[in-house]
Amino acid sequence: MRLLVVEDDADLNRQLVAALSEAGYATDAAFDGEAGHHLGDTEPYDAVVLDLGLPVMDGVSVLESWRRNDRTMPVLILTARDRWSDKVAGIDAGADDYVAKPFHMEEVLARIRALLRRSAGHASSELHCGPIMLDTKSARVTVDGRAIKLTSLEYRLLAYLMHHMNRVISRTELVEHLYDQDFDRDSNTIEVFVGRLRKKLDLDLLETVRGLGYRLSDPNDAA
Amino acid sequence: MAWAIVCPIQTMQHRSLAFRLIATSAGWSILILVIAGYLFSSLFRSAVERTFDERLLLTLDGLLANIEYDATGQLTEAADLGDSRYVFPLQGWYWQVSALEENSTTEIRSASLLEKRLVFPINAYDERDDNGLARFYEMGPEGHRLRVIEQKYEIDGAAEALSFVVTGNSDELEAEIAAFDQTLLVTLSILAAGLVMAVLLQVRFGVQPLHRLRAGLVNVRKGDAETLKDEFPIELQPVVQELNALLQANKEIVDRARTQVGNLAHALKTPLSVVRNEAEQAETASSRKIVEQAKIMTDQVGLYLDRARRAARAHAPGAVSDVLPIIDSLVRTLKRIYVQKTLVVTVETDQSLRFRGERQDLEEMIGNLLDNAFKWARREVVVRTRFQAPTQAPGTGSIIIIVEDDGPGLPREQREDALVRGRRLDETKPGSGLGLSIVAETVAMYEGDIRLGLSGAGGLQVQLTLPGSKSLSAKSR
Repeated sequence: MRLLVVEDDADLNRQLVAALSEAGYATDAAFDGEAGHHLGDTEPYDAVVLDLGLPVMDGVSVLESWRRNDRTMPVLILTARDRWSDKVAGIDAGADDYVAKPFHMEEVLARIRALLRRSAGHASSELHCGPIMLDTKSARVTVDGRAIKLTSLEYRLLAYLMHHMNRVISRTELVEHLYDQDFDRDSNTIEVFVGRLRKKLDLDLLETVRGLGYRLSDPNDAA
Repeated sequence: MAWAIVCPIQTMQHRSLAFRLIATSAGWSILILVIAGYLFSSLFRSAVERTFDERLLLTLDGLLANIEYDATGQLTEAADLGDSRYVFPLQGWYWQVSALEENSTTEIRSASLLEKRLVFPINAYDERDDNGLARFYEMGPEGHRLRVIEQKYEIDGAAEALSFVVTGNSDELEAEIAAFDQTLLVTLSILAAGLVMAVLLQVRFGVQPLHRLRAGLVNVRKGDAETLKDEFPIELQPVVQELNALLQANKEIVDRARTQVGNLAHALKTPLSVVRNEAEQAETASSRKIVEQAKIMTDQVGLYLDRARRAARAHAPGAVSDVLPIIDSLVRTLKRIYVQKTLVVTVETDQSLRFRGERQDLEEMIGNLLDNAFKWARREVVVRTRFQAPTQAPGTGSIIIIVEDDGPGLPREQREDALVRGRRLDETKPGSGLGLSIVAETVAMYEGDIRLGLSGAGGLQVQLTLPGSKSLSAKSR
């Protein structure tokens, strides 16, 4: 899962990126509205944390512009203005949820989890695929109740696949959603991670669709 | 104050513009009228005197023509003067011709004098006009006040000079003058009263714009108006313009200060987030202290924002907000935030309802109630509004807003706590938990009523009663 944080306060931005990275997301940072807008417009983010009071281009304009360009990723807005009229304005501009400053980092993480779940059409924070269970809240994975240790990239890969179960996902898409923009991307490394993941999970549910990409199939759905 | 009680009239003189205007113009009018009255009276008197004198002069001419010495050297009437008034005894109409010599006995008198003689002080004759006539008033023998005309004359061939005296009863003259003076007094008094009345009306009418100005300023002070709006006379218009400019400047200063407080408070929120998050990362004694202090600062920021909002509200009473659009936009927003709950939201509301108060306040109240309802509801949220007609004076109607959900509800014993700030009922779901207490505070500010109860579906029902009205010209939407 790849996220974008647009926040002009350098410290808060750093904290958000750190907390989100720690929670297992590939996270990019932008420090003003224009840069944030450009990133959100060109990169395929799974969710965005957007501050409303931004220099150069304010948050509401950024958001409205994204929505006009059919960028549909869930957006969580952060703002110091916490009146209902501000919330209504934010939501009407196209935001999906709202956190008022000063906030607890936990709350931002919970909202982001909920947004990602919602956009993938899942109702619970626990994703299931056959014997595999992925808890987005604690970033833990079990197979038949047995805890599996995954590196953060492996976790991100599995989480993305589980959020988009039964769909063929290309390598490019995976690369775009697993790495933040500063990472030296090489789609061949995906193959390596998929191989490791298969080994750790010890399952055949993750299949390679030749020439297209990968698909994680839920055995219950297939039945 | 004591000074005002000791000399209220002086206070009035000094303080009342109306009193100054009335006193000066009434005083002036009365002075003019008194002078005019005196002049009229004198003119009339001299006119009447002249006519009276004409009659006496006729008699005098008659005497001059008809009195002569007889053979014995005594004065005698050559012909009857033919005026009966000089026959009636002692009525004040007399004539007398006598020698000027002290011891001369030459004398003739009108029959009306009987045996009496006319004797006047010698200096009464001192003043004579161009024709040699002396005219004066003097008391007569029977106590009548007499108008006297006298002329010295020497009959041809006589050795001595004679004094011809004719008198008339001046009571007639005085009576005529008195009657005229009385009429004049009445007329002028009525005129004076009319003038004073006119001045009173004029001043009252003239001062009226000042009363309006005062009433306008009272409205501004009470916050019912922002500026003086009425049309004022051109003399007052510059004052009104200056006052409005002053009010405007004042308002701008207050607004700027308020905006800056708001900006400061909002600007503090980001660094507070940073400090708190940073401190929460480290688990040391000092970081716990920092978290604790950051929370206090957060509360202070909230408090001052609240105050700034409340002050802004006090400045703009008379605000009216449509209820339905507010509910609509809030429901739309919350549906999006709680999209995964797929709740059925029913809004039964009268589109003509209006809340008598600030839009933002209504938004905060309904927003918090709806947020709660959406948070706890299982399947359904219902919003109902209705109008409650005024029970006493017109214009005191209420709107009733009911928000209910089918969630777990609130046990009876917790309902009271929920309305008090600082008693947070639920720590398990995100959100401030202050929702209901903030609603209760705002409701109290509008002297409304909040009631927590059980909804039909077993969840929480919140009923708000707020000042409001039903607009007659409901906009068709």
